[in-house]
Amino acid sequence: MRALLRRTPLVVSAVLVLVPLLVALVGPVVARSLDSRPGLPYAAGDGHFLGTDGLGRDVFELLLIGGRTALGMALGAVAIAYLVGGTIGLVAASTRRRWLDELLIRPLDILLPLPSLLVISVVAVGWRASPLAITLAVAAVNIPTVARLVRAAALDAASGPVVEALRMQRESWAGIHLGYVGRSVLGPVAADVGTRITLAVFLVASVNFLGLGLSPTAPDWAVSVSRNREGLLLQPWAVLAPALMLVAFTLGFNLLADRLVSRSQLRRGLEPAR
Amino acid sequence: MRSYAAQRAALAVVQLAVLSALVFVLTALLPGDAADMRYTETLSPAQVEQLREQLGLNQPALERFADWARGVVAGDLGTSLVSGGPVLDIVRASVGATLVLTLATLAVVLPLALGLGILAGAREGGRLDRAISSVTLALSAIPDFVVAVLLVAVFSLRLGWLPATWVGSTGADLLTHPALLVLPVAVLFGRTVCLLSRQVRAGTVNALHAEYVVQARRLGVPRRRILLRHVLPNAAVPGVQELARTGDTLLGGVLVVEAIFAIPGFATALVSGVEARDVPVVQGLTLVLAVAALLINLGADLVCNRLVPRTELLR
Repeated sequence: MRALLRRTPLVVSAVLVLVPLLVALVGPVVARSLDSRPGLPYAAGDGHFLGTDGLGRDVFELLLIGGRTALGMALGAVAIAYLVGGTIGLVAASTRRRWLDELLIRPLDILLPLPSLLVISVVAVGWRASPLAITLAVAAVNIPTVARLVRAAALDAASGPVVEALRMQRESWAGIHLGYVGRSVLGPVAADVGTRITLAVFLVASVNFLGLGLSPTAPDWAVSVSRNREGLLLQPWAVLAPALMLVAFTLGFNLLADRLVSRSQLRRGLEPAR
Repeated sequence: MRSYAAQRAALAVVQLAVLSALVFVLTALLPGDAADMRYTETLSPAQVEQLREQLGLNQPALERFADWARGVVAGDLGTSLVSGGPVLDIVRASVGATLVLTLATLAVVLPLALGLGILAGAREGGRLDRAISSVTLALSAIPDFVVAVLLVAVFSLRLGWLPATWVGSTGADLLTHPALLVLPVAVLFGRTVCLLSRQVRAGTVNALHAEYVVQARRLGVPRRRILLRHVLPNAAVPGVQELARTGDTLLGGVLVVEAIFAIPGFATALVSGVEARDVPVVQGLTLVLAVAALLINLGADLVCNRLVPRTELLR
């Protein structure tokens, strides 16, 4: 019973993450086309499972399609940020040339105070709401912090006695850096990925909500919340359903990241911070 | 301490120079300019070209940057392409509402975040800690605009207790109508409190496990004195650093909140500037924001160094 209780949060957070993720992945495949037969605006029921939105479109169909951009752009951005920032961080940490380390990290220090939502808005408007441009902008504002995090975690591992021992055993460069340092970075990285995905979903959703991103009729969860908010009291599901999807996803990822943080602290012999 | 401050300030100066160049490049890269946006429907291509010349939009980018940078150093942010007035006036007109909003939020957030964080961290793993930790974790996962939409629906539309927009009011009305501030601050405060208090809690927990605290306990120093004299300064460091980072979150929140409540602040001016391709306005506002973020970061680092004088700048 106690083991079950301890597991419950994991199950809950997994369900919270998986439901929106599955909707985003499978939804676009099973959804019927939207424009076929628009109904009355803000109708409740009327042959529509979750009613209709302000344009008379079926809320359930919108929900099925809207996850693709809302989650896809954020996940893509985090992947790119880690690909670029992670590489910079690892190279900076493992190089023995101090100037290379400085050259890679200093410019990023300078970029840190740039307000992220601002950069993304300017890019989104400039490139006519291209999803690719927004994804790249969200990735770009995340690169400095990712690079610093990976560098710090890798330095922690690379300056320890284990690497010294491996070096004395004439272990190959790849064996040390990819086999040991790379692996020990994974713990802090996994915890950070969780919070970073939440943040990226927030950024993408905020830009779309402000009307600076995707077009105001695009089937996207954040756009739906923004568009239908004046009809909230008439037809709450048009706002609540997409909002719930977003909240479930970010909440689930936050819970997962929190678990990973406490676990990696446990492994380092610190008290778990729950 | 003094050499740390000097180094940190030098870094800030370099940051400022690079950021202003970056702001210029980013906005200059925007495809389509103000001449395109305003007149393609009514003017012939030749006339658009003439207007472009008049606005100085066809000069080489480097020359425009030099002009702009000279102006900025002299305290002149340029002229709006749409209204024709100085950008500085637009900054002045919009800064009040945003500043009031941000300061009001911080005034609520800071004491609450410190209090909650220390309360939760002081009895790690206890019932109160678990309650505070799970509530802050859950709340920090809800996007600002969802909170805003729900609060407006309940408190303005359903119950009619609080105004839903600022339409027709300016920053000066705030002192006479504080009710205007309640919902925007409520939206902004939720996430910030959660993020900050979690950092303060982690700092408290770490400090409580440190050897100097264990030793102080052995010597019989009273618990309250340990918490206030030894734990609090150390616990505040991650909080202050997080505050500088939260500045970014808070600014994003301010953009969203200003849009929802139609607050005539910085974000509103910025969004309309971006939409109209009014490049000087966007440049000016972005620069002011970047400088503010820079100063917040500088201040946070200096405060941390004062609290715990071991933070190193140069690794």
